[in-house]
Amino acid sequence: MQGDSADFTTRPLPTAPGPARPGGDPPPTPPAALPRRAAGVLSGCATASLGLLYFAVVGTLLGPPLLWPRTRRHALVVLTAGARRLVRLERRRRSAFFGDSFPDRPVPDHRILRYLATRTYAGLLTAVVLGLLGFGVVLAGLLVAALARGTLGWRELLTQALLGGVLLFLDVQGLVSLEAFDARLAREYFGPSERELMQRRIDELATSRAAVLQAVDTERRRIERDLHDGVQQRLVALAMLLGRARRGRTPEQADSLLEQAHRESQDVLTELREVAWRVYPTALDNLGLKEALAGVSERCDIPVRMDFALAGPLPASVETAAYFVVSEAVTNAAKHSAATEIVVSVRAHGPVLVVRIEDDGVGGAHLTGSGLTGLHSRVGALDGRLHVHSPTGGPTTITAELPCG
Amino acid sequence: MLAEDSTLLREGLVRLLVEEGHEVLAAVGDGVALVRQVEAQPPDMVVVDIRMPPTHTDEGLRAALEIRERWPGVGVLVLSQHMERNYAAQLLTSSAERVGYLLKDRVAQVEEFLDALERIQAGGAAIDPEVVRQLVIRTTHGDPLARLTPRERGVLETLAQGHTNAAISEKLHISTSAVEKHLNSIFDKLGLAHTTGYNRRILAVLRYLES
Repeated sequence: MQGDSADFTTRPLPTAPGPARPGGDPPPTPPAALPRRAAGVLSGCATASLGLLYFAVVGTLLGPPLLWPRTRRHALVVLTAGARRLVRLERRRRSAFFGDSFPDRPVPDHRILRYLATRTYAGLLTAVVLGLLGFGVVLAGLLVAALARGTLGWRELLTQALLGGVLLFLDVQGLVSLEAFDARLAREYFGPSERELMQRRIDELATSRAAVLQAVDTERRRIERDLHDGVQQRLVALAMLLGRARRGRTPEQADSLLEQAHRESQDVLTELREVAWRVYPTALDNLGLKEALAGVSERCDIPVRMDFALAGPLPASVETAAYFVVSEAVTNAAKHSAATEIVVSVRAHGPVLVVRIEDDGVGGAHLTGSGLTGLHSRVGALDGRLHVHSPTGGPTTITAELPCG
Repeated sequence: MLAEDSTLLREGLVRLLVEEGHEVLAAVGDGVALVRQVEAQPPDMVVVDIRMPPTHTDEGLRAALEIRERWPGVGVLVLSQHMERNYAAQLLTSSAERVGYLLKDRVAQVEEFLDALERIQAGGAAIDPEVVRQLVIRTTHGDPLARLTPRERGVLETLAQGHTNAAISEKLHISTSAVEKHLNSIFDKLGLAHTTGYNRRILAVLRYLES
């Protein structure tokens, strides 16, 4: 495939705390801004009063039929139908103000009623807590006014301020808890169950495990090719030179063939070193990532600018993955991109290592058979993400995000 | 005529063949180009590497089989990366005249390589000793090969490489009459019909070993 711009995006990074989100899901939205959440809480109070109204009016009307065994089932259906409408409203509120996105699937009747009842209760409680907050604000205003008029002793002021402070803290704490409860309630009733999350995680692990195996095989194939096309051919050629030297008609001819053979043997050694390095750069273990990457830029024909800013040590698996991402991307750029410069940056963004390789080449990176698939698996195995952005005409940017936790 | 994708090796082979007094009509890097060259000017002999671009699997073998079919008079020597029984069998089942299957590394043993070339040019066959050894080693339970004496086994191996009785006697330092005696015993034990013409004998032996 030749992508104009292919986004090789793996799963979002697991956000702690909370379950890892599977690949098929939209990424978790960051928490909404405070004003939006406040609006969400307020509208939650409004919808809760609607719920209360519904239960009061419809519940009263349907009370007798609900108690009567013959009509109970039908009455329940009527009650639930209305409840479903209100629940839909609640879900819309959650998604509008808090960015929830739950799978749309049927919820059984008894759960609908239970959710609406719990939610209504919680919403009304929120309204009460908000009311208390308002009451507190009024009291504080009166206190300030009294202070301004000078009718307030300092001892009384201190007592009031202390008491008010404690009550304010409790009230805000209550609001925060109720908001969290609202979110948890929605997740519990509409979100994917624990079991589903686990099932998805298992699927995901199985997929990435298969991909890793495939990547290993691809790697092995590459090593075999390296050995066969490089080292072995050279050795055969070397042996042929020696064979020809032995059959040389004249001493001069034999000498010149021997000299060639000697040169060839040096080349074989160089080739072998190169292959061994490509299989695994030992510098990574002995000297660390920075030195190993310096080796990559030295080996590249195109100038490589290295921006390496890391404070502490990294887990070995992350270092290795970062090394191979850079090495593969730089090799690809040198082979295919016709770039004049490659810029590599390795930086830590919080608990995530971000490796970025940019070149000013022709773009249109081939995403198959160019080692990118293997990289994708390698990064995916660490729960990381790999983005490849390579429009035709360039430039190409390859970004890997590797969690270090 | 040569087909070998490694430039280094191709050059080496060309040099060697020229030094040995052969004329190299063309040296190419893939199977398609080889067939095209043969079409333009059939040589006495082609040497072809099995693994060549684009897929690096069996391009060379396919080119070799095509050449065998279309120009039976052209000798074909196939160079293989690994010992591949299946490839050897494909190549030899058509006919065992003017055909050879060598491991690529055998080229490094210049004398053996040149010897194989000569045998093919003389209308014979050349099978890599290693290939033959592997075929002979595969003795399963009830395999008639298991009934051969070590000496007979040696004779069979040498025979299967495409050598004449005279060459066998020379290689194994035994008299030609002893070679004939061993051969008769071998063919008896393997239940093979007595035939003249050593190519058919190799073919029979190889086919038998393949079974």
